[in-house]
Amino acid sequence: MAGSTQTSGLGFVGQSVKRVEDERFLIGKGQFVADVMPDGVLHAVFVRSPYPHATIAGIDVGEATRHPGVVRVFTGQELNAVTQPFVPLAPQPGSYTPIYHAMAAEKVRHIGDPVALVVAESRHVAEDAAELVVVDYDMLDGVGSIDRALAADAPQLWDRADGNMLSDATDTYGPVDEVFAAADRVVSITLDSHRQANQSMETRGTVVEIDKVTGHLTVHNTSQGPHVLKWAIAAQTVSQGRLKSLWGFMRNTSRRKAFFRAANTFRKANKDDLKGQDNAGMKGQLKKDRSLLRYMTRMGFGLLAAESFPTVTSVDIGGGFGAKGPIAREDIPVVVAAMSLGRSVQWIEDRVENLSDGGQAREERFHVDVAVNNDGTLKGLRVDALIDGGAYPAFPFGANLIGTLWKVYMPGPYHFEAFQLRSRIVATNKGRVVPYRGPWANETWMRERTIDAVAAELGMDPADIRSKNMMTEDDAPAAFITGPTIDETMSTRKTFDRALEMIDRDQLARDKADAESRNHRIGLGIASYHEAAPGPPNFADSISPGSGVLLKEDGRATIEIDGRIVMYTSQVPHGQSHQTTYKQIVADEFGVSMEDVEVIWGNTDTSQFSFIGTGGSRGGPLGGGVMRATAREIREQVDELAAEMLEAAVEDITIVDGNIHVSGTPAQGISYADIATEAAKRASVTAGPVFDVDLKYEGVGNGGWSCATHVAIVDIDLDTGQVTIPRYLVVEDCGPIINPAVVDGQIRGGVAQGIGAVFYEKAFYDDDANLLSATYMDYLIPTAMEIPKIEIEHLETLTEGENDFRGVGEGGMIGAPATLTNAVSDALGVQVTTQYLPPSTILELAGIISPD
Amino acid sequence: MSHSITFTINGESTTLDVEARRSLADVIREDIRLTGTHLGCEHGVCGACTILLGGQPARACLMLAVQADGATIITIEGLSDGDKMHPIQKAMHEAMSFQCAFCAPGFLMSTVALLEENPNPTADEIREELSGNLCRCTGYQSIVDGVETAVRIIRGDES
Repeated sequence: MAGSTQTSGLGFVGQSVKRVEDERFLIGKGQFVADVMPDGVLHAVFVRSPYPHATIAGIDVGEATRHPGVVRVFTGQELNAVTQPFVPLAPQPGSYTPIYHAMAAEKVRHIGDPVALVVAESRHVAEDAAELVVVDYDMLDGVGSIDRALAADAPQLWDRADGNMLSDATDTYGPVDEVFAAADRVVSITLDSHRQANQSMETRGTVVEIDKVTGHLTVHNTSQGPHVLKWAIAAQTVSQGRLKSLWGFMRNTSRRKAFFRAANTFRKANKDDLKGQDNAGMKGQLKKDRSLLRYMTRMGFGLLAAESFPTVTSVDIGGGFGAKGPIAREDIPVVVAAMSLGRSVQWIEDRVENLSDGGQAREERFHVDVAVNNDGTLKGLRVDALIDGGAYPAFPFGANLIGTLWKVYMPGPYHFEAFQLRSRIVATNKGRVVPYRGPWANETWMRERTIDAVAAELGMDPADIRSKNMMTEDDAPAAFITGPTIDETMSTRKTFDRALEMIDRDQLARDKADAESRNHRIGLGIASYHEAAPGPPNFADSISPGSGVLLKEDGRATIEIDGRIVMYTSQVPHGQSHQTTYKQIVADEFGVSMEDVEVIWGNTDTSQFSFIGTGGSRGGPLGGGVMRATAREIREQVDELAAEMLEAAVEDITIVDGNIHVSGTPAQGISYADIATEAAKRASVTAGPVFDVDLKYEGVGNGGWSCATHVAIVDIDLDTGQVTIPRYLVVEDCGPIINPAVVDGQIRGGVAQGIGAVFYEKAFYDDDANLLSATYMDYLIPTAMEIPKIEIEHLETLTEGENDFRGVGEGGMIGAPATLTNAVSDALGVQVTTQYLPPSTILELAGIISPD
Repeated sequence: MSHSITFTINGESTTLDVEARRSLADVIREDIRLTGTHLGCEHGVCGACTILLGGQPARACLMLAVQADGATIITIEGLSDGDKMHPIQKAMHEAMSFQCAFCAPGFLMSTVALLEENPNPTADEIREELSGNLCRCTGYQSIVDGVETAVRIIRGDES
């Protein structure tokens, strides 16, 4: 292929090297989970609730069980009896996280809640039999909105919660009351965003293979974070009691020693983070529900006593956008089915299941007050935010993640003297809320929409307000009011200035006038933001003290005895082109071609533990960073050995196209195979790696901010309410770019999801929480007709850090909704307060049709 | 009830016993084990399962396998010559058209049909023709670029 035959002399980093992944994808040889198909695999289909809210009075699986081809029907109660529930890992202060089992056994809480599992010889038979399961439901009123959840007479989803309130936290920075009292005026606005769904083209799925002799489980899955899935499966399928587990553990000396060794290593490596953690959230949780202790000890002791752990693999994943980060509830029952039947079982989610419980996000409301002076100086920001959390909290992260990120990000790149955020999560009878590409993204929508509203009230140009209040890298080393440090990478202002340069305001004025003559309206929208990708060293502590312990990235590099360079990553690619970009980085470090580097991913047996896997725009800064750091460490060892072999000084060793030689004498070079042979001889080994480096990487000191400004010009047809986007521009700065085509793809894809969010996509529920968008006829994914060409301008701010890559995966989605709704506001001369703007809403805003 | 059907798939004649209710996509994937044809929605919207049936693009998820009795089918696996890519595959590689690439087989098959019918489409025509295939990763520009590159390769402007 053109890309991989390029020589290392050119340097691969920085080039749009063609993707090595495409060599299998484009000929139909990808290995997605549904392609696994072990011989004799059984097919699992879930029986799901057709009601938003009901208690289960009885369930009859008799006829379904007798149906020819059915192997077993499990009721929710049977499955829950042998599994442990999902429990909160790091509850936030002021929150209560419901503890729930994988199946709904007594009560269903949303349409699609799983109540029974049919396992059969074929998918068709399993679906037939699922129809034969008779469930006796007693209907309860459904909670279909934030307002309904908060009403005094609202039905309550969780008995131990305060009404439907799952979290209520207030964070205050600076003297809020004083700043508000002293400001010239306060501008207020209420903003509502709607429920959206991540919607990767591949649904979720799991194929559980069981070794008939050893009982070992290999779980092929679509997980973005397979290590967490591995441990969740191991912990949640513990069925024996605590004492039995403890006894087993105490008797198993080698296991016991290994455990205490690992625990000590972990404690030493994370001393500071562990010391910083406070347990106020856990204390609050326990006050509400002490069953957590019982479950935690049962799972903990069970893990200690376990003889083996499952292997989780994911070779190719067809997109995720965050939804494949949390563990699918379905994964646990499918494992139990395989274990109890002693046969391989698979569950491949269908699109209707995916649209009802495959992950939803962003249904949030913001009451915003901004204290401003009449000259446009922003003084204070006070936000009361509500999150519609759906029925079940996602594990390990979901709605609970959002408020903690909001409190750090919300003031954005602007200087405020004071900021206060109250964020609440309410339970409703809807699908699970999961992280969706920039899970906190609505802080940017809220803030940038509000700034335009402030500008309108003051009669100023929104760009002038931004310009007047935006902080810059020159403010370094000051900190944002919410804690994180500003550093040289805080280039939002530079992206903003460049974006303004690229807008021809005179032309825009002419276009606006011309549009009016066609009964169209044209408007300009701008939005700026920055994101921690990975952020300064104190970013994790600003979210929650000690949370950095979860954010490290390990990596491993080896040179095998035959001279092959093998890299092991804990990243889990699902479209981000890790295989290509990591080969680029590593080939440059070793002075070899990309074909000489192998990248191993997607198997918990070969990758090191990662709490997150792929997510949080970590693939470049942390995943790429640890690849480079491990490669450099081995390269030093190679140089040293080569220097001895070639009788030269280490600093004179050069490697070009795999030829290891003394500078100036390439003809006398040696190869990596020669180096490996020599290393093997010296170490007296005949197999396995001869160089082997294992690193933990935090990106600290090398990280920083990823910044951008988006600009949109929209053209609105007042006859139809249709909006087109004649221009969409992104000026971004993610530092040095590994592969420009890959980065551009991430940005365009993110913007496309933002366009979908504003104009097309909505997960519709009625007031009673009935799902109205369970197919692609109702949930509209934008096509090639709706997404315009997106212009991208890169600023590549470099730093002194050893590894300077910064994340870029989420930014497009963060910037787009604010930019587009600002442009619509400008075009129509109104303040848009909802994020969802289908043609009917556009025509209402234009005063052409009435909302009734 | 099973039916015996015969069709030609990627140049090979295949005879199978299939239940009447099984979709063509399931039979291609599970019985013939050509797993390059993907199922994204199973209700005919996303286009990931697009194959060529008698040269025309068809949604394999919406067809019953028995309806394909006697047909000539080409799937993504039949587009390349072993590992040697078809010009359209080469073009999509060149343009770095895809990311997760779950949708890629469908887009590639739709593009084959598009260029058979209209070898020199404009960018707008490409967008319209491909609007029956959904991609969630790319924002489509790179796919449109890939089709334009394919046009140039097929015309002989590029190798």
